[in-house]
Amino acid sequence: MKYFLDAIRAMLVTLKNFFRPVETVRFPFEKRERGERYRSSFALVHDEHGEEACIACKLCERICPSEIITVVGGEKKLSEATGKKRQYVGDFTLDLNACIYCELCVQVCPVDAIVMCRVPEVPGFFREDLVLTMDKLYANEAAANEPTWANATKLWEMQDPKRGLVEAEPDEPAPEPAASETPSTEPAT
Amino acid sequence: MSLSIQPYSAEQPVNPYLDVDLYDPDADLMVLNLGPQHPSTHGVFRVKLILDGEVIVKAIGYPGYLHRGVEKLCEKLNYSNIKAIIDKNDYISPMINEQAVNMAFEKLAGVEVPRRALWLRSLLAEFQRIASHLIALGTFGLDVGGALGGGASAFMYCFRDREMILDVFEELSGCRFHYNTHCVGGNRHDVPAGWDRMVLPALEVIEARLDELVDMMVNNQVFVDRTQGVGVIPKNLALGLGLTGPNGRASGIDCDLRRDAPYNAYGEVEVRPAVRSAGDCQARFLCRVDEIRESARLARLFLAGLPEGPISGTKPNKGPTSVKIKEGRCYVGLSTPRGELGTYLIAGGNKGLSPYRLKIRPPSLHHLASIPYILPGNNLSDAIAILGSLDPVMGEADR
Repeated sequence: MKYFLDAIRAMLVTLKNFFRPVETVRFPFEKRERGERYRSSFALVHDEHGEEACIACKLCERICPSEIITVVGGEKKLSEATGKKRQYVGDFTLDLNACIYCELCVQVCPVDAIVMCRVPEVPGFFREDLVLTMDKLYANEAAANEPTWANATKLWEMQDPKRGLVEAEPDEPAPEPAASETPSTEPAT
Repeated sequence: MSLSIQPYSAEQPVNPYLDVDLYDPDADLMVLNLGPQHPSTHGVFRVKLILDGEVIVKAIGYPGYLHRGVEKLCEKLNYSNIKAIIDKNDYISPMINEQAVNMAFEKLAGVEVPRRALWLRSLLAEFQRIASHLIALGTFGLDVGGALGGGASAFMYCFRDREMILDVFEELSGCRFHYNTHCVGGNRHDVPAGWDRMVLPALEVIEARLDELVDMMVNNQVFVDRTQGVGVIPKNLALGLGLTGPNGRASGIDCDLRRDAPYNAYGEVEVRPAVRSAGDCQARFLCRVDEIRESARLARLFLAGLPEGPISGTKPNKGPTSVKIKEGRCYVGLSTPRGELGTYLIAGGNKGLSPYRLKIRPPSLHHLASIPYILPGNNLSDAIAILGSLDPVMGEADR
């Protein structure tokens, strides 16, 4: 008898859940709302002058834990917009097959060139579909159509050790920065 | 000659090195391989069972099917990269894995972590503990329940409730698994505006639905029959094998690093870990239920008392070589949902950019070491319940 009553009580809980609102969505047809910081596929962006922002410094290639980013340096020439000499990227490949979406490449980019999109990547039928070439990455910038939350500058602002503190004293001399790790936007000629 | 196998007790311990030929000269015993692909082993864990009828005579565990060489990989990667891949170690509670390696790096680098980051880390760890225990409870229902004990239903309900925690993490860090929300010296992501309006209702819903789960499973006579007195780990065996966490506390070892060796912000609040003395499957299950309630209470405390200020004590990570630790060695232990996760770090590899050696002490491996002792004497069906109640995660046991 005890077993029977307990089974009935368990079934009542099931019945209660039966009338609760459905929490799943029919995925390919409906998509659930993603948070503002949701990070998925990648995009390369243009800077405020309309030029490709990436300077091929290879920091993202070196910090990637899965080693999926390949950057080939391009030519160094005078920028048409600013008139300064800078480097351009020759080829940029990001293999999403092994990406773990850790956001470290976005974190280290000195010129905010690589960002992550809120739109999940489109699944492909072939492995080659998941390899983001430079054309696809620049196309993602246009296709995203919504502001991506994080780029390096915003992340650095958020992680500033002096953020939210009252600045009573002038800036103390910062500890020796790793100068070689942060290449300037104008490489020496 | 008559040898009989009884379940483990302090008076009559089971011999895990039993000579099977001596036990059964006629060789009537049956050898059954449980796993490595069996869903009840919670991962790829193989147990070789030697059965006499339906009673287990001897059990031999074979871990190692999920060995990925994480420790060796860490010797190659830079400090800033390690915390991104260490999430996959204990894949049920990634957030706490990140904290473990970060605490070891910070201890050797001598970095001061700001108070807000400490409280935020504790808050995230408590959320992760709730999510991890929900998986443990749900899958345990699947292991013992069948249709009547609420098995598959409880599994679905627990995963549904866990989604709310993952949504909270997604709102904060942008990912559901590879959060990478810690850095050496603090946190990478600050709390977004209006986060508590999402967090507090989630906690309330989870607590309310936990009562339903208890009503459905713990008070169910079928469940009691399947778990009470099954797979008893006496206190001396638990001490000898180094059981920690809910499994150790269910056997009466009143030890929780959150209270006994406070790290993060746990020194500023009172932690009351759940302790039971029975040491059977039911006690382990109830310990986890109590820990969810305790974690929800702690999470509310941490959320209410989250101090203002910066979230990182060092300059932001601007390159692969931003963290350099020349030399030193340290051990850091912290309390994951499964037990004490230890990280032993010897610095000095690759010109100070990588560890010379990073040793991880996974609690799950120690829990699995109890299997040769507690399985013999039980029925085969109870073996599934005992394995489920230990809540091992093979990702961290095999690394």
